[in-house]
Amino acid sequence: MDLLLAAAQVALAPAALLAVVAGTLLGVVFGAIPGLTFTVAMALVVPMSFSLDTAPAIGLLLGTYIGGMTGGSVSAILVGIPGTPSAAATVLDGYQLTRRGKASLALGTAVVASAFGGIVSLIVMVVSVDMVAKLALRFGPAETFGLLLFGLSTICGLAQKSLVKGLISGILGLLVMTIGIDEMEGVQRLTFGTIVLQQGVSLLVAMIALFAVPHVIDAFVKYYTGERKVEAVADVRAELPTIRDILRDFWLMLRCALLGTGIGAIPGTGGPIAAFLAYAHARKSSKRPERFGKGEMAGVVAPETANNAVTGGAMIPLLSLGIPGDPATAILLSGLLIHGLIPGPMLFLQNPGEIYQIYLAIIVAYIAVVAIQLLGIRFFVQVLRVPAHLLAVGIIIMCAYGAFAIRNSVFDVVSVGVLGAMAYGLTRVGIPLTPIILGLVLGPSIEREFRTAMILSEGDPSVFVASIPGAVFLGLAALVVGAQVLRAARATLSARRTEEKSRASVTPSE
Amino acid sequence: MPARPEDTERRLDVIAGGLLLVFALGWTGAVWLTVPEGYGVGPRAFPFWLGVALAVLSALLLAKGLRGSYAPEAPDAEDLPRAAVPILLRLGLVAAVCGIIAGYGVLMQKIGFVPATVLTVAGTLVFVLGERRPLVVGGMALGIALGAWLAFGQVLGAYMPRGTWISLF
Repeated sequence: MDLLLAAAQVALAPAALLAVVAGTLLGVVFGAIPGLTFTVAMALVVPMSFSLDTAPAIGLLLGTYIGGMTGGSVSAILVGIPGTPSAAATVLDGYQLTRRGKASLALGTAVVASAFGGIVSLIVMVVSVDMVAKLALRFGPAETFGLLLFGLSTICGLAQKSLVKGLISGILGLLVMTIGIDEMEGVQRLTFGTIVLQQGVSLLVAMIALFAVPHVIDAFVKYYTGERKVEAVADVRAELPTIRDILRDFWLMLRCALLGTGIGAIPGTGGPIAAFLAYAHARKSSKRPERFGKGEMAGVVAPETANNAVTGGAMIPLLSLGIPGDPATAILLSGLLIHGLIPGPMLFLQNPGEIYQIYLAIIVAYIAVVAIQLLGIRFFVQVLRVPAHLLAVGIIIMCAYGAFAIRNSVFDVVSVGVLGAMAYGLTRVGIPLTPIILGLVLGPSIEREFRTAMILSEGDPSVFVASIPGAVFLGLAALVVGAQVLRAARATLSARRTEEKSRASVTPSE
Repeated sequence: MPARPEDTERRLDVIAGGLLLVFALGWTGAVWLTVPEGYGVGPRAFPFWLGVALAVLSALLLAKGLRGSYAPEAPDAEDLPRAAVPILLRLGLVAAVCGIIAGYGVLMQKIGFVPATVLTVAGTLVFVLGERRPLVVGGMALGIALGAWLAFGQVLGAYMPRGTWISLF
């Protein structure tokens, strides 16, 4: 209790509150702008949090995360374009509600559902995170290695279209992180004798380059190809639903919140999947499924509850095991690291106060989201009218200055430009960027745990399967990759079959 | 005949597989030559075997691109047909953005944050995006520069480069 009070004193201090509100506002705006995701906002915010104290810095980051998850629904409802992928399911009924003149109520309901989902997931997280961490405390290096490998394999395998490309991406991330001085033996690795590379590639530089720069390039390309349009946004406000409306959908919201939390806790899944599953569940369990897709409020409530519940779910593996499940939590992790908080089981022993600060910041962020959407929505929807290429110019400045602010180094700014161009190239050839970022984040720990385990076992590799948790994690990792290989093989077979069929049906005149 | 999407995908796979294979082999070679082996699982093991794994995977991608079969893809909501963009325009824009960021970083150090930001924003608007309205160019350049200076430098108290050639503020 004393800890909670002490944490409240820090987390509810004016500077910290202001930081959460500022972060939430930024997140809502970035989330609301189609194409600009809250991941971009977070990558840009992390360097800014450098100069802040721990509590405001945590608040700024969490606010951006939560505000962004909610903000995606604004453009989904108003203009029918999801502001973030997580809000794609909200478009189905949200936009129909706008066309029927119920935009204000849809926005208000989405906010309430979002906050409900977020708070429920927070409760689940608070209860489970401690247990998971206690379990994980018993893990030695071998078990931790297995766990990290499992986390990485789900991300490379599950969420990607092509297993080979997902793995390539993950390995690229791991490779890059081996540059610099080897922390165990002090040997320089691939620094080519330069001083700038001795510290290795900065995680934050990589994140800005991977997420923000390709977006800027894309906005410019679209500007030149004429794929630009200024959205007509009506004058709106958010209107709170009545208590009766909320009670009517209460059980649906609760189910979707738990569903979202569960999905969020699995690394490599995330908001879009949870939102679509929740939407499907709402339609299936509804008494009038025929009204879905034509402007049914439950079709907004379900995905919005679920995608915000993902935030709490994703925090479970992040805080208790140090495994981020998606880019946003990976950035959150790097932000925590900057301030000396190392997510993982030890966090609960070493920084219990900061854990409470994180919980409180999440609650404040949800209050701020509701307040901002109710009071300020009229003003910030105006941002939707700013053409994307002009916004991109502002983002260039933020990318470059953000990179500079990390360690006042021009080399970092130049790196962002070069790595960003490479990242854009990777997206063009269909290599996903998410596994890279997780490879970057998990790489150093994977190597450290593996080598420590091998030293402890005096070079005997059987140590990785010697304990039950270790064997289970490695088995699961093998299962994930094996299942994907099978699926890929089956897809190739069927592709060959259709190709033969289409070849047979093509007329010889070709 | 316009290129079918699966042909484009095949070509991109060949390019990506080929380039990554070259990179992986170069990386593995460099690791073998420059990083000492150490004791047990030493500093060389991870970068080396990761390089080997990347080489194998990119060879797989290359092989698939050269001989594998590609199903005509069902249109997917995620990757709606991209408008055909001339390759030179795309490369030009990539180079431009990369150059702007790098140039801005250097400029920031030489002439200070605010002047560098004004020049970069105005330059990008005029020369890259072809914006000619003086109100938009001037307003955005000054607005972004002063806004960023106020938010980062004054409110957040972050260090702003002052310039080694000239130092206005």
